[in-house]
Amino acid sequence: MTTVLAMTHAGYVAAGWIATVGILGGYAFATIRKGRRLSRVVPPEERRWT
Amino acid sequence: MLADARLVAGKDLRIEWRSRVGIGQMVPFAVLVLVLFAFALDPDRGILTRATAGLYWVATLFAGLLAVQRAFALEAAPGVREAMRLSGLDPAGWFLGKAAAIAVQLLLLEAVLGVGVIVLYAADLQGPLLLLATCMAATVGIAAAGTLYGVLAAGLAVRDTLVPLLLLPVLAPVLLGATRASEAALGNGVGDGWSWCGLLAVFAVLYTMLGMTFFGTLLEET
Amino acid sequence: MTTTPTETTPPAPPASSTSSPLTRVLGTLAGVGVVLVAWLGLVASPRDIVQKDSVRLIYVHVPAVTWMYVAVFLCAFASFMWLRKRTDGWDVLAASAAELAALLTGLGLITGMVWGRPTWGVYWVWDARLTSTAILFVLLLGYQALRRYPADPQSRSRMAAVLGLLLVPNAAIVHFSVDWWRGLHQDATVSKIDVSIEGLMLFTLAASFVVMGIVCAWLLVHRFRVGWLERRAERHHLDAALADRQADADPSAGVAVGGPSS
Repeated sequence: MTTVLAMTHAGYVAAGWIATVGILGGYAFATIRKGRRLSRVVPPEERRWT
Repeated sequence: MLADARLVAGKDLRIEWRSRVGIGQMVPFAVLVLVLFAFALDPDRGILTRATAGLYWVATLFAGLLAVQRAFALEAAPGVREAMRLSGLDPAGWFLGKAAAIAVQLLLLEAVLGVGVIVLYAADLQGPLLLLATCMAATVGIAAAGTLYGVLAAGLAVRDTLVPLLLLPVLAPVLLGATRASEAALGNGVGDGWSWCGLLAVFAVLYTMLGMTFFGTLLEET
Repeated sequence: MTTTPTETTPPAPPASSTSSPLTRVLGTLAGVGVVLVAWLGLVASPRDIVQKDSVRLIYVHVPAVTWMYVAVFLCAFASFMWLRKRTDGWDVLAASAAELAALLTGLGLITGMVWGRPTWGVYWVWDARLTSTAILFVLLLGYQALRRYPADPQSRSRMAAVLGLLLVPNAAIVHFSVDWWRGLHQDATVSKIDVSIEGLMLFTLAASFVVMGIVCAWLLVHRFRVGWLERRAERHHLDAALADRQADADPSAGVAVGGPSS
């Protein structure tokens, strides 16, 4: 653990990785949620993947 | 096709001549931009002189946006586009005509701005032929791309914010090339101005062809 | 004339989602992959001799940028296919790919800047790669603006298709012209990734590339299905509204309809 904390440029590395996970994760969350909401409205026969 | 182009160009230019919007609004706007830059970049410190080429083309680009928006506003009245479409105009010709009208207006604007730049920024013209070629090539590129993206957004109600957003990034290479070539023509650039002029010509040809290809698709009836 | 404002959609189907066996597999792989790459990238792999730990940002930056190019090409291809076939599927694919591309471009720029600061000392340089990426980002934002425009869907799809098709040539022109320009000034090509990466670092990079691809595929499938559902929902509302209009015009028709759902 001390190896990790002793990282140089730790702030930049953290910022980059957090941005990546945050942006992609946030997008995933929003997309799934929208999918759930729309699925309630559209009848099942319109879908072709279940 | 060329007959249609002449027809559309003639119509647009005649409307322009009668309404004097270009002369009345576009040109003063562009000159104003030049003046504002002089406020922003202290003339006494030499920055203005070094930046002259860039500022000239930025002012031209902004005025170009106005010209494009005006060109499509001419046909925005309900029924006008349908009437033109139904009249059997060849889309490629329609594109060429519109682009030509915009190009003519821009060339006149550039001439006025050129005088403005020589007067206001004390620019020193060393390569007039290069400058002329640059202006022609850049203008055709701006007009062609402007007409294509103008029609792309023309069907939408508030096209005014969308067209700049779409068109300016596309015209970034034109700005780059025109500025470098003009710098060479004004005697304070590095590199070969004529090569940049070549790039501008390629862009102009490319976008003219793209415009002729896609104009019809974009005009389609829904 | 008055119709009971009850739900007219068929009895609500069991609440479900855009998931399927495919996405569950992809999702699981993605999840495991992300953890693996995070461990490899942040903990297990060694620091670079020159860049020290900022090399760890390469493991997010390079995959993001690479898959961004793939997404842009996919959007261009889908746009081209839509112009030829005019089927919904291609249009939704183009829109989904463009959205993913915008996301990845933004991410690529952010991670690139964050990597650049400790490495070059600056957040930004005006070289061909960065400049053309920035322009591409703005173009993609313009595409998003166009897609969200309140306009007739068919025209909007048409305009978006032409724009999508032109993304690639535009970015290429910008890249080429800026490259030429910066070449004149003989700037050091600092943005070129150091190819002497090897061993565990190379493995981590390859793994992160694959994992990012799986994540993007997963996102794309879900986003595509959301887009597909949106189209269906629009049609559904349109049908309900039309039926409603008919019932209003002819109350004796006896069609039980309610107001269009929100």
